[in-house]
Amino acid sequence: MTASHGPHDTAGLDRTELLQPGHRVGDWVVTELIGSGGWSTVYAARPAGRRREGDGRAPEPTEVALKIMPTAGLAPRQARRIVESARREVELGRRAGHPRLIGLRESFVLAAPELPAVDGAIVLVMERAAGSLRELLDAGVSGADRGRLIAGICEGLTHLHRSGWVHADLKPENVLLGRDGSVKLSDFGLATELTGTHGYVPPMGTLDYLPPERWRAPLGELGVQVRPSADIWALGVVVHEVFASGASPFPGATPVARGAAVQEYGEGRAPLRMDPAVPPFWRVLAADCLAPTHAARAPHTAESLLARIEARGLAHAGAEKHTARLRGRVRAAVLAAALCGAAGAALWSDTVREGASGHRPGAVRVFNAERGCQDRTDRDPQCSLGLAIDPLRPYAAGNVVPTRVWHGDVLTADCRLPDGQPVIDEEDLQSTLWFRVRLPHGSAYRAAWLPAVRTKDRPALPVCPRPRAGPPRHGGPAPEGPGS
Amino acid sequence: MSGVVVHLPRGSGGADGGEPGGDAVTLRLGPGQVARFGRGSATTPVELRLADAAISRLAGEIRATDDHWQLTNHSTTHSYLVENPEGAGEYLRVSPRRVGAPVPFEFSRVVLPTRGELAVSFQVFAPDHVYLDPDAMGAPWGSRTVTAYSLDESATYFLVLVALCEPRLRDQSRVAVPTTPQIVERLRGHVTGGTLTARAISSHIDYLAEEKLRIGVLDALEPGKGDRRNGKREEIVGLALRFGLVREEHLGLLPSLAGGGGRERQRPR
Repeated sequence: MTASHGPHDTAGLDRTELLQPGHRVGDWVVTELIGSGGWSTVYAARPAGRRREGDGRAPEPTEVALKIMPTAGLAPRQARRIVESARREVELGRRAGHPRLIGLRESFVLAAPELPAVDGAIVLVMERAAGSLRELLDAGVSGADRGRLIAGICEGLTHLHRSGWVHADLKPENVLLGRDGSVKLSDFGLATELTGTHGYVPPMGTLDYLPPERWRAPLGELGVQVRPSADIWALGVVVHEVFASGASPFPGATPVARGAAVQEYGEGRAPLRMDPAVPPFWRVLAADCLAPTHAARAPHTAESLLARIEARGLAHAGAEKHTARLRGRVRAAVLAAALCGAAGAALWSDTVREGASGHRPGAVRVFNAERGCQDRTDRDPQCSLGLAIDPLRPYAAGNVVPTRVWHGDVLTADCRLPDGQPVIDEEDLQSTLWFRVRLPHGSAYRAAWLPAVRTKDRPALPVCPRPRAGPPRHGGPAPEGPGS
Repeated sequence: MSGVVVHLPRGSGGADGGEPGGDAVTLRLGPGQVARFGRGSATTPVELRLADAAISRLAGEIRATDDHWQLTNHSTTHSYLVENPEGAGEYLRVSPRRVGAPVPFEFSRVVLPTRGELAVSFQVFAPDHVYLDPDAMGAPWGSRTVTAYSLDESATYFLVLVALCEPRLRDQSRVAVPTTPQIVERLRGHVTGGTLTARAISSHIDYLAEEKLRIGVLDALEPGKGDRRNGKREEIVGLALRFGLVREEHLGLLPSLAGGGGRERQRPR
């Protein structure tokens, strides 16, 4: 019972007292302070001397991160809050481990009678990261790596959501980067397992990343309801931040003001105004993540977003796999430097830009002759175009794959067919030329055919082997019409 | 967070009756929304009608902004007063023709001068003020994870909440939640809470349930009839304790149990 503590003693000095380098915590020795939050302090640590020598297991990593959550001097109810948060992290670490989630190695309660401040503290031993996405944003992230970072976050969310968890506190601070540049989601103190379509989290969150529905959410016995679509909203904010120098898509000088802007947008009283610096593909993706209601956001699962990002990556880099692999190695090395300062970041961006802007054989940019569709980035179905299953049959409903494309999409073509079915476009241009283009992984078809009137590009490509005419594939979803 | 609530109590709309029938009016403004007030007319519509000959057709505007609100004074001659009823006489004066004066109080009473004895007034609540968590002090807060239902620990509603939670905080067993008369009794002797009436305490409980914690199941319940609804109190107490909104350290806000102010409560052991 600590009723004698006044309200101001909760953050008592003893709780913020730091461990000195060299201090031993369990089997680990503290090397430096990484950061300190409300409930916890995170240190870098290395294994203490003769730890588990010769037990035949893989060698211990050189460094880990110790998240120390002190409970000393707290009233039982406050301590319970911390225990609960640690329990969520441990539970998730044990049941849903994944390369895109920061690894939890072990957890224990620290017995340190000589240090009352941390005696009884909960210690989580975690994989050590090189830095956070927030640090990278502050240093200036640029180039093609942005897409890779978002894809990594999407992979982590896809895994979490598939495993039935919601992160509930996604933000750049909680997206960590490994030394090799890999993305790892962290801080599962609010993560919750879904029961049916909902999970419940304590009434906490980070103002800049809360979806509109959270601002009015009632508090129930189990906490506040969250659904995976809350993580998707937060992802939309992060996508915008990554492409707009760390700026939120919502106007306002403070998180409270931006929260008000989120509500105005959620109630349909203000439009979504994204920074023009966000490229069209990412703008559309972020807009889908930032759909104002849960219902409108629900179709955009982490999985479907990841598929879109991968499909785009395929279109952009497919022809250059080899170069990309080489570049990846350079990029990883530079990422570590970028986290150490702005000079590193500049070097990194140059490296990537040069590679990305190089000529790619086989790239064809989709052209939609409808002028009204050329400026739109919202991927309105009205503006979508169809790809044919068979270029020798009429380009009409029944002969298109389920995958749609829009003006500006870049596809990878393998070969050309000069004498397919003639196609006339909206401006009376006629052509019998077709390109065979690759479709994203997981599509019903591996490739489809783009009529040449749907692009201005004429890449030098080999002639395709003549496709064998056959009946349309059965069992697939009913294809829509080829569109405008 | 959901903006501000404008409330014109029954019969306060001015000598000429205000809203038809002098009924109470409650308006809810989301961020960025505006409510005009004044005498109104066919050509000058207002959302909040105040019927007094001394009040202009369009007397002013309230705009919900971020977590607070702004007052625009359309009068060319009169200042308006914004009082903080919990602020021991704290108030601000909004000069004639002032545009968008920000109001920092969670509870406000806007007072418009009239020629008669009776000033016209209405209330504005801004329940969305954000408070830092006590264990997150002294650090930049912008990207911090914060408690989304923050309470002003110096507000009267918080005092009422602590009194509601006291029996469970003291012995942690399932004692019944105090009734309104018990709370009136318990707070007697408190510097500011000592004069609270049963009705005032009920409305603080309603405010907690509806505006601060937004307790899910209350939609069907009518506000202002909290006395016999123990379910609501039980729920407020349960949530406040479960999520650490009220903690042992807050018991210090209540008048001392042994003190001379109030009658001894039976202290469970």
